[in-house]
This record gives sequence, C-alpha cells and structure tokens, in this order.
Amino acid sequence: MASQTLYSVSNDLATVLLNGLGSILPGPVRAVVTNPDVIVGLSVLIFAAVLLAASMINTIVLIWWERKLLGRFMDRRGAMHVGYAGLLQNFADGLKLFRKNTFQPREADALGFYSGPLAYMVTSLIIFGILPISSGWNSGALPLTLLLALAIFSFAPLFIFVSAWSSNNKYSLMGGMRSAAQMIAYEVPILLAVVAVVIVSGSFDLSTIVYEQQNYWFWGPLVVALIVFVAGMLAEMERIPFDLPEAEAELVEGWNTEYGGMLFAFFMLADYLRALVGSILVVLLFLGGWTLPSWVPSAATSFPLAGIFWFMVKTYAVFGLFVWVRASLPRVRTDQLLRVGWNRMIPLSLLSIFLAAVLVTVKCLPVFGCVPSMGV
Amino acid sequence: MSEMWINMGPQHPMTHGLWNLRVKIDGEMILDVDPEMGYLHRGIEKISEDRHYNEVITLMDRCCYVAGFSWEHLYILGAEEALHVEPPERAEYLRVLCDEFQRIGSHLMWYAAFVQDIGLMSPFLYGMRDRDLVLDLFQSYTGARMTYEYMRVGGVRNDVPPGFTDSARKVLDWLTARFPEYDQLCLGSTIFRERCDELGILKAADCVKHGVTGPMLRSAGVKRDLRKDRPYSAYDRLEFDVAVADAADVTARYLVRMEEMRQSVRILRQVLDWLDRHPGPVLADHLPRWLGAPYAPIGNEGYLLKRNYPKGVGFSAIEEPHGEALAYVVNDGGEHPYRVKFRSPVFANISAARQYLVGYHVADIPPIMGSVDVCVGEVDR
Repeated sequence: MASQTLYSVSNDLATVLLNGLGSILPGPVRAVVTNPDVIVGLSVLIFAAVLLAASMINTIVLIWWERKLLGRFMDRRGAMHVGYAGLLQNFADGLKLFRKNTFQPREADALGFYSGPLAYMVTSLIIFGILPISSGWNSGALPLTLLLALAIFSFAPLFIFVSAWSSNNKYSLMGGMRSAAQMIAYEVPILLAVVAVVIVSGSFDLSTIVYEQQNYWFWGPLVVALIVFVAGMLAEMERIPFDLPEAEAELVEGWNTEYGGMLFAFFMLADYLRALVGSILVVLLFLGGWTLPSWVPSAATSFPLAGIFWFMVKTYAVFGLFVWVRASLPRVRTDQLLRVGWNRMIPLSLLSIFLAAVLVTVKCLPVFGCVPSMGV
Repeated sequence: MSEMWINMGPQHPMTHGLWNLRVKIDGEMILDVDPEMGYLHRGIEKISEDRHYNEVITLMDRCCYVAGFSWEHLYILGAEEALHVEPPERAEYLRVLCDEFQRIGSHLMWYAAFVQDIGLMSPFLYGMRDRDLVLDLFQSYTGARMTYEYMRVGGVRNDVPPGFTDSARKVLDWLTARFPEYDQLCLGSTIFRERCDELGILKAADCVKHGVTGPMLRSAGVKRDLRKDRPYSAYDRLEFDVAVADAADVTARYLVRMEEMRQSVRILRQVLDWLDRHPGPVLADHLPRWLGAPYAPIGNEGYLLKRNYPKGVGFSAIEEPHGEALAYVVNDGGEHPYRVKFRSPVFANISAARQYLVGYHVADIPPIMGSVDVCVGEVDR
C-alpha cells in the first residue's frame, strides 16, 4: 500500500499510454516513443500536471473557504453569486486578473520584477511534490521530506525581497524588509518546534511521522510545539496578526504594491499555496495526517479515498482556525513581532524540545499510549 | 537605510479621505511629519455667500459626510442668531435627537475605520452594520441617509413619523447590547493594548496650544464639552456626563469615544421620552418668506419684506463628534448671508500631527491618525 506513490501511478499511466501509442506507429518512431527515458519524461510531466491541478484547485477552494468563513465571522455571507454559494467566484476573479494588462514601473528592474513572483510561485508549488496526502498517495518516496519541505518553504523571503527591491517603490521596499526580517525570525522557532516532533517520531519522513501517530496524535503531548508551530506558521504565511509586511493601513499593499494583473495573482496564489502547505504540515505533524483515532467506527475510514477525505477535512479545519484568528485579532507592530519571535517563541520551542526529550525517556504515556518506534 | 520622505496620501489607505501626510522616516522610525490639506477644498464658505439662508444647509451636509446633522445644526444656530429667529422647543429637541444619533453614527464610523487601521477585520463590519441602523432611522424621517437637508432656519423641516420613537428605542437597545462586544474585541485583546497604550500621546497643554478639541482634548483629562460649558438647543435640560480619560493616548481616545456613545444613548432616551410627551410645531411661525422656501423666485414680495429686515451677526459653537466646531454668520440685510465662516475641529486636530506622531514607528501612524478621527470634508470645506 505505502509503496504506491503518485509518481508510480503516473509512471504506469505513461507506460501504458506510450506503449499503446507505439503499437500503432511505424518502427523507428516506435523506438523513440517507447524509449524508457521518454516514458520517464512523460510520467514526470503527468505527475507535475496532476500536482499542479490539484494544488491550484485546492488553493482556489481554500480562498473560497476563507471568504465564506470571514463572511460569517463578519455577519455577512461572503461570495454568493458565481456558482453554488459562490464556489466559482475565485475562478472568475482569477480569469479577470489573467485578462488584465501586466505593467512594470518605469524604473523597476525587469529581471527581479518578473522573476520574483514566478520563483515565489514555483517554490511554493515544489513543496506539494513532496507532501504525502494519504497512505497510498504520497507523491514521492523521499526519506527527508520534512526537512526538504521546510527548506523550500524558507526560500520565500529571498524572492519577496528581490521583487520588492526591484519594484523601486518605497512601500514595497519597506514591506520587503519587514517580510525578510519576520520570516527569518520565525524560521528558527518553527524549526525548533519541528525538532520536537522529530525527536518523538524519530524520523524526518512525513509518512513515517504520520505512521508514528497511530496511537496518539502529537498535538496532545507536544502542545507547546504545536502552539509555537502554528504561531510561527501564521508569521510565515504573513496573515493577521502577523501580516505587517503587507499592512495595508500604512504600506498600501506592502511588497506587492506595484504588482497587478497576473503577477499579483501569482503572489496571491503563492500566498495561499503557502497557507495550504502550512495547514497540511500542522495536520501531518500534529493531527495524525490522514488517520483517525481507533475509537472511530470503521465505516468512517473504509470508503474509497477515505484517507484523502479526512486529510482534506483536517487541513481545511486547520485553515479555518487561521481564518478565525484573522477575523478576531489586530495586527502587531514590527518590533513587537520580532520581540515575540526572539524572546518568547524561541524559549518556548526549546521548552517543547525538552518536553519531547522527556517523552522519549518515559516512552509510554499513561493516557495516550506509546509511539510505535519507541513502543514496547 | 537612510532617511527618506514618503507620501501617505492623497491616495493611501491610511488617510480615509483626500489629504496627504508626508512622513520623514529612518527605517521604521518617524523623524518628521508634514500634513498637507486642501485636496477636497470646494469653497463652501464662498458659495454660501451666493445662496439663500436655507440653501446653505445643502452645503453643510457635504461639509462632513459622516456628521451632516452636526454641521447643519452649527450653521442653523449661527443663522438663527443672525436673523433673530427663535425655533419652537420641539424643534430644539429634534435637533438634539439628530445631533446625538449623528454622534453615535459618526463614532461608529470612526470605530469601524480605526479598527480596520490596526488590522481588526470583523469589528469593521460590526461598526458599519450598526451604523446602518442609525442611517435607517435618519432615512425614516429625512428621506436621506447622509445628506439630510433637514434643519431649517426657525426649526426643522418636518416632524418624525408616528412610531419613530419606538423604532429608535429598539436601535438604542441593540446598540447598548453591542457596546460590550466592541470593548471585548478591542480592550480585551492583548495585541490591541500593546499597539495602542502609550501611543500618540498629546498632553493637555499641547492640546490647548494647538487648538485640539473634542475627544482628543477630553482624553487628555480636560473636562470640556460645549454641550455642558456653553449649552445650546436643549442640552441644558438633559442629563449626561462628560466622558474624560487621563492617559492622552490612543486607548484613552478610544475609551472617551465609547463612553460618549453610551452618554449619547442616555441623552437620546430622555429626548425620545420628551418627544412622546410634547407634541407641537416644529417650525417657527411668521418666518420671512424669502428664507422659507429654497429656490423661491427672487424679486417677489419677499424681496420687499427683506429690505426692512434687521441686520445681525450670529456666532454658534457646538460639540461636533470630532470636536468644537464654530460658525460665524453675518447678515447684512441681504437675502444671502454676507459672510459665513467655520472653524473645523479636525483641521486643528491634524495640524498638530507633528506633536503626536514624531518619535513613533511607521506602523503607528494608522492607529494614531485613526484615533484622531479625520473627516477631510470639514477640514477643507
């Protein structure tokens, strides 16, 4: 079961497709088409296309989810008109942005101005290539997926700063600097909080981490790490209360002030991609991934694609928490943000590591049970 | 990073209207500020010289788009003194009704804009939602939601419709129940207190030096409210307290405005009771025809009457939601005012920006300017 990956499925699909195609083609062309390298190339393409489609659709639905939730928090209904309950509203918005003219400020540095949003978008997409979605649907079998995901996740400040600087706008520059300072400050507590999870589960592989949570989910014993991780993720995603890089009250739109049309859509989509990745990581690291507790009736987990279904439910619930925070908290100030980051979050994350070490020492908890790898 | 000037405005989310705050910054620190006004100047004072007395009321609604009634009232008081007209008592109470509902509406608008400035999203819509109830009330007896043209020299245009006082009481009950929710969302939030405590401090002495009035002055501990100190209309017959705070910071201004809304509710309950018990005329008898009807043809018998009309000078001062607004109306015997001059409280309040902005962070500008409650319409006039 676990050996089946999204890549292996697309590889099978490419093999069938190309062999079928080769059987109706003349000899020399058939040799080219059925070449193993070509099959690998096509399977990579299929893999990437499926991932792109899945992550994009999820992102857009996520935006819908946020708009509806925010609407309810604000005593209104959110998008209602395009599609059922406004489900297609964001597709319409995306289409509008796609049709808009892309412009560039006269003094802007074209290379940075155009490559920034693309790189931001692409790096956010890459993470989806390594995240396991369900026991049968982890996209690639890599041993260090957690580390790789966080490493790619932390590219963002560089691209944000590049695009902000090359926009040649004072608001953009200030927003870019705030963004860089904030993301770098919150990388550290996030990584330390993740270390707590790694200590308990004994693995950097996200699938293994989920497997290790079969007796109890990590959010209970590692609640300190969870708090640090969620708060850090809020800062990494630049959402309220930590959205000061694009604080619209003082910085107009922050680092993407000068971007319009599709370039803005790239930033917007990449932001929500990162939000999706953040929610997924919370689910994978602390909420048991696609698994459900053993007391849940088996009917809830036995239908087809149940793993993916519960995984998505959890992910959207976690994102709903982020939306709730956004709807009810004001924005903090830069110096307060950095002070909280360095003075509160890092000690807390060190505490979470200590708690994880205690957990490893005692091996089994009275209420929760044992972690399989440490189990008796 | 070296020092640089940035323009916050005239098109900037912080400004809430057309004005420009030039800010000299070093990194995130504010070194100097330079407020620039005048983008919304429409020459209201000059246009007034070319209009009949009652036609100026239309301009007053446009003076401040969130406090139209207050400015109507201000002008009407000045014009009535200049024209030697006394309104009936019921009209005075109706004006207080308008004023106080307008104060609630204006403060709710301020609340919505202010919380949006510090990043609170939901209360923004709560404030707008509740302000809509007040606007619905206005619509029920003036026909308009923002530009009312309701007050007249010598009274008000029409009485409130039957059943109005009950629906107004319902709105007051709803608002009273919402105020704790507002406080919970702001004062109950640690981030809000971190952002707003000891921010944008303007001490009483500086307030006086710069002519800063209204909630900003009262938040510095000065118990000055024209409704108490120089009562006009029916305020001397109504019971209420002046909201005062001591800290002179953004939180103090928040507290003062919240308390003012509660006091307005208190005033309004008395006014509604009075209106229920005292029916009567709302417009004075024997008004000169030439100021009675706007757009009346010039040169009829009203013109003749006007010749012998006594000259006069009117001065009025009211406690507008933003501060103390003053008006000076000169009647030289003509059918138009000879001169109308207004004193806008917000003009003085944002002119003192250097006093309460320098030394704080760039991110502090929206909360501080939000706590000032800028209404550019009345600044530029």
